Amino acid sequence: MAGASWDTSRYLSLFAGEASEHLEALGKDVVRLEQGATVALVDSMFRHAHSVKGMASSMAFEATAKLAHRLEDLLDTLRADVAKVNQAVADVILQTVDALSAHVKAATQSQPLPDSTALVVRLSELNAGLKGVPPPPVSAPPPPPVPEAAAPPAASPSGVVAVDAAAPPRFALKLKINPASNQPGVRGFLAYKRLTTLGNVFELKPPLDDIKAGRVPQGAVTLELETDQSEESITRTMRTVADVELESIGLVQRAPPPPPPGAEADRVVGQEPARTIRVRTELMDQFLDHAGELLLATARVRQIARGMPEALRPPLDESVDRLHLLVKGLHDKVMQARMTPLALITDRLPRAARDIARRRSRDVELVITGEDIELDRAIVDELADPVLHLLRNAIDHGVEPAEVRKAAGKPPKGKVALSVTRQRDRVVLELSDDGRGIDVERLKVLVVERGLMTPEQVRGLSERETLMLVCLPGLSTATDVTDISGRGVGMDAVKRVVEAVGGSLEIETRAGRGTTFRLAVPLTVAMVNLLLVGVGDEVYGLPIGKVSGVVETARGRLALSQSAPVLQWGQSVLPVHELSSLLEVPAGPASAVASPFVVVDSDEGRVALAVDRLLGQEEVVLKALARPLDLVPGLAGVTILGNGRPVFILDVARLVTA
Amino acid sequence: MAKKVLVVDDSVFMRDIIKDIFAAGGFTVIGEAGNGVEAVEKFKELKPDLVTMDLVMPYRNGIDATREILRTDNKALVVMCSALGQETMVMEAIEAGAVDFIVKPPRAEDVLAVVKKVLGEA
Repeated sequence: MAGASWDTSRYLSLFAGEASEHLEALGKDVVRLEQGATVALVDSMFRHAHSVKGMASSMAFEATAKLAHRLEDLLDTLRADVAKVNQAVADVILQTVDALSAHVKAATQSQPLPDSTALVVRLSELNAGLKGVPPPPVSAPPPPPVPEAAAPPAASPSGVVAVDAAAPPRFALKLKINPASNQPGVRGFLAYKRLTTLGNVFELKPPLDDIKAGRVPQGAVTLELETDQSEESITRTMRTVADVELESIGLVQRAPPPPPPGAEADRVVGQEPARTIRVRTELMDQFLDHAGELLLATARVRQIARGMPEALRPPLDESVDRLHLLVKGLHDKVMQARMTPLALITDRLPRAARDIARRRSRDVELVITGEDIELDRAIVDELADPVLHLLRNAIDHGVEPAEVRKAAGKPPKGKVALSVTRQRDRVVLELSDDGRGIDVERLKVLVVERGLMTPEQVRGLSERETLMLVCLPGLSTATDVTDISGRGVGMDAVKRVVEAVGGSLEIETRAGRGTTFRLAVPLTVAMVNLLLVGVGDEVYGLPIGKVSGVVETARGRLALSQSAPVLQWGQSVLPVHELSSLLEVPAGPASAVASPFVVVDSDEGRVALAVDRLLGQEEVVLKALARPLDLVPGLAGVTILGNGRPVFILDVARLVTA
Repeated sequence: MAKKVLVVDDSVFMRDIIKDIFAAGGFTVIGEAGNGVEAVEKFKELKPDLVTMDLVMPYRNGIDATREILRTDNKALVVMCSALGQETMVMEAIEAGAVDFIVKPPRAEDVLAVVKKVLGEA
């Protein structure tokens, strides 16, 4: 088989990545299937199964290929008559998707493939049963599907060419659109149309929509043409298209099977420019790291230039300005390259919602909007678990059982909505359910019962603060499954993650009407605006997003409450914390006239931090802390200022509790 | 023998420019039309080797006229004349069967290069 003749191991991660994407999409399709089967939907599922089969077979994972093949057969039957889709069928399809995922996982870890014989048999039986439904006597029975040739022309999205000896020859063509031509997009489209008069076009790169829009890098177009025409005839036809040159043409070798996707460059004649490339995430992190370092180094050079003799300054400054612009441009491009649509995580949610809802016997509809909004890959990755937690909570503890809903005069089917919106430089994810809401009074009782707060403390809380109690670690680890404590499962983790990426969490609830969790996160992690403060000889950065304001007043004029100093802030009175004591560093001599107090929002609510000096504001590149510094509570990261001085960025939220 | 061309455009000025280009290139302009309806009639009457077709015209636009001409003769060679920014319409015309396109304002060498390609003379 194919695996014997060439080394498949170098394609393994590509195989795993693409196969998982197909399986995830397939799982998502199954969920939509339950809302109504359409031919287009089943077609899409068929294509995914077909792709997985082709890839697995190219990798010589025979058991995987076989399972995918049976699934493909079943889907082929279903797309001929979508009315045959029912719950039982959907369940078997999902089961197969899970099994295939397990295969892919095992393959990735070089483990033996799981035994799926029973499932293969189940699929075959199910398919036979579905096909066995006799067609109306008048119409001729449809011809039995020919498995490999059953793929429609467009069903080869991942570059897998079905091996079919009966198909006409296939040519690989490389075209070049004259870059000086008017409307290169239309030129490319014209060439494509002309070729379709000769046969079927496959593997068109760039995709047709890109060509039509004129997005043809270097004017290069590659494709495969399946046709009965001779090479001369193709060449002659292409000669009638102005401004498009046929650079090369050659027969596509069909056996042995082509390498899996990702290796297209080996297969199609010549080296065509790829439209997208896959880059390992760590590499993207390193790019960003280096671009960030460059920014810092530039700032450092600028600082040094300030100390140079006046005569040298203008050309030096000019060069530094130019360097800064270039580096900033590079940094922006790297940031841009890291942008990933949230669909990366939301695509899994319909499937997850379905599983949770079925397990809890709930009827829930999940509506996702705005998933195409992009943000930094690092943040997208971080949000995956919190969003899943929130979804699980919404279905587990928010949405009531159908009878309860009916009794409350609500539609029996619960609704959970995830809406993603872009608000200036933030992305806001709102997950809301129309369930029972959080019982604020019971929450307060529970917090006191668990000894997390005193009754007095609880009484002093605003509604907003009370709701945030669900994020208390003590509540989240509660093992009993009361509706309220259930809400707390993982909520402290959710809050922690959201804040770690520089975001914030808000909760709104209406008794009997539902709950909304609002996550506001920055588009990117790496740049942060700091307020620099001095304590003794040290300088620290406070993220501006957490700073509510600054007050200057003499320490001696602070009021006292229960012998602790407090600061008058608008209508309220804030506890004052010495930053030097929180950080356990020596403070400078306190000024008798006026000391600055920075008002920040911490986990404990709003507090005033007493500092020695305010040193201004600076936009810096946030660098994560390496071990063991990342374990120090109260530190969020580090940066290097223009003067070369490293500065710790404080984790304001946890500074006071730390 | 010189190839026969039918020039369709609602602008007389534009027709003149195109006619001059063809004359200089050794083609015979056997007729012209100012709208899509006229274009179809002239095509049936004159049986040209090639038609240059404006996209936007009164009564019947160039795409509809192209479709109608191809219904009459499925081997007809229709080259669209378009302006920049009309890419979508040109592609619609190509879907309808137009074999190529030239972009206004027409430059002699571009027009002749396209037309010769289409006629298999290049």
